[in-house]
Amino acid sequence: MGARVLAWVSLSVLLVAVGVPFYWMVTTSLKTSTQIQSLTPYYYPRPVTFGNYVELLRGTGFPRWIRNSTAVALGASLVTVLVSCLAGYSLARIRYPGRRLLATTVLVVYLVPPTLLFIPLYTILNGLGLANTLWALLVAYPTFTVPFCTWLLIGFFRSIPPDLEDAAMVDGASRVQAFHRVVLPLAAPGVLAAGLFAFTLAWNEFLYALVFIHDGDLKTIPVGLNDLMFGDIFLWGQLMAASVLTTVPVVVLYTYLQRYMVEGLTAGAVKG
Amino acid sequence: MLPPDAGIGYLFVLPLVVLVLLLIAYPLGSAVYLSLTEKYVGYPPRFVGLKNYVELTGDPVFRKVIWNSAVFTVGSVTVKLMIGLLMALSLHQALFARRLVRGLLLLPWVVPTVITALAWHWMFDALRGFINVSLETLGLIGEPIAWLGQPSTAMMAVVVVNIWRGFPFFGVSLLAGLQAIPADLYEAAAVDGASATQRFRHVTLPGLRPVIFVTTLISTIFTLNDFNIVYVMTRGGPGIATHILATYTYEVGFQALRWGRAVAVSMYLMPLVVVMIVVLARRLTRED
Repeated sequence: MGARVLAWVSLSVLLVAVGVPFYWMVTTSLKTSTQIQSLTPYYYPRPVTFGNYVELLRGTGFPRWIRNSTAVALGASLVTVLVSCLAGYSLARIRYPGRRLLATTVLVVYLVPPTLLFIPLYTILNGLGLANTLWALLVAYPTFTVPFCTWLLIGFFRSIPPDLEDAAMVDGASRVQAFHRVVLPLAAPGVLAAGLFAFTLAWNEFLYALVFIHDGDLKTIPVGLNDLMFGDIFLWGQLMAASVLTTVPVVVLYTYLQRYMVEGLTAGAVKG
Repeated sequence: MLPPDAGIGYLFVLPLVVLVLLLIAYPLGSAVYLSLTEKYVGYPPRFVGLKNYVELTGDPVFRKVIWNSAVFTVGSVTVKLMIGLLMALSLHQALFARRLVRGLLLLPWVVPTVITALAWHWMFDALRGFINVSLETLGLIGEPIAWLGQPSTAMMAVVVVNIWRGFPFFGVSLLAGLQAIPADLYEAAAVDGASATQRFRHVTLPGLRPVIFVTTLISTIFTLNDFNIVYVMTRGGPGIATHILATYTYEVGFQALRWGRAVAVSMYLMPLVVVMIVVLARRLTRED
């Protein structure tokens, strides 16, 4: 009994600690700048105003940044799903020399920090004439989305019983047909999850976008907001409105992904 | 003689291999080379051997950056582990609404890091930020504290934000670890008359050790290389008080435009990172 009370006390403290920044973000986005600057604090907006959202969408590059972020994240997740699905299946199911080495490589590569890669990648992209284009991000993002999603999908394909595709192959289906007709439909939820993970990873990315893109018209949301923040004056109302708008889609996706995320994150860790 | 379907296996894995070789292995190799050169933007690299590393080692600014990275990483990871353990143990206890609470506590980990840093920048704002405003309301401070404007509080602030973002990762991993400890172990311990504290020390902690080990290593690698939080909140300032490896790499590379030196900054802890990655990879790919 005592342990349970203690558990709820600590969970409540954690929930408050997690909740306050969100509360401050949302309420700030709904305040007028007078309320934000006021010396008597406004702990909640009165009256509520949507002016920050209107100005953000009308007066800044935000709509363009959304378009750029969406395009890049969609493109990157499509590439990622394609590459990771094939590789994940191959590494999970088909036996051939070098398979274990390759699976280990996927993990190692997932752990290589972007800090080490961004300057050499930039010189390469520059050489290819891709610097300062959205293509640069489309090329660079798979360096972290593909290892993560392949790792996730290896586990996912392993969890599907092999009997079904074996039966299909006994009945005369080729390996490719068995993969395409039997395994993929069963793996659809995992593949979707991998795609959505790739989307959010790309949507959230900052360092590569900051380094590879200079043109104001091509910026993604995080870089655009970073510029907006270090303008002449701090537009906290608009910045928080932008933060809300950027966060909502990710949170919506994660309500679906939570199950997979917990599995994906922990499968490896628990196994050890 | 290759096993049947080996050809298709190789074919399927080929795009991945090409990607890894072209976009990860090759850049890493060229990073090693670049760090041994003097390379200014727009000029070809000039080989200088270990000069960059030697100069960095003697450079007080760089030493401070290394020290900052250590403080940032050790401080963040230690507290993340402790709070994560608290979160996991509490969630393991509380059966009611566990999934919902876990989902809510995961939110910081889901939000784009730049947004997190922005929101906390505003929380720490000296004049109208939530922290100063509420501390004033409570009468705890007489005048505003410039959290991000003083070296000691600025470092504390970026560590706090890293903890806020990263503890759910520990919490969720450790919870899964707790759930994987067989219940009979607890029952056996209870039958033998072990107290709650003894059960925690002799059943829970040993059971969690592998998960703690792996999670801490992963988090250390990523915290050591964090860029977003510090860059968005302080740009490494005031002065160089919060500059860590990644932000300093960026500054040397894209403000001072000395790429060879910048890559050497990022490569400096490479041996440490490699050791951690190898240990982790061996752990995680061990056949069960």
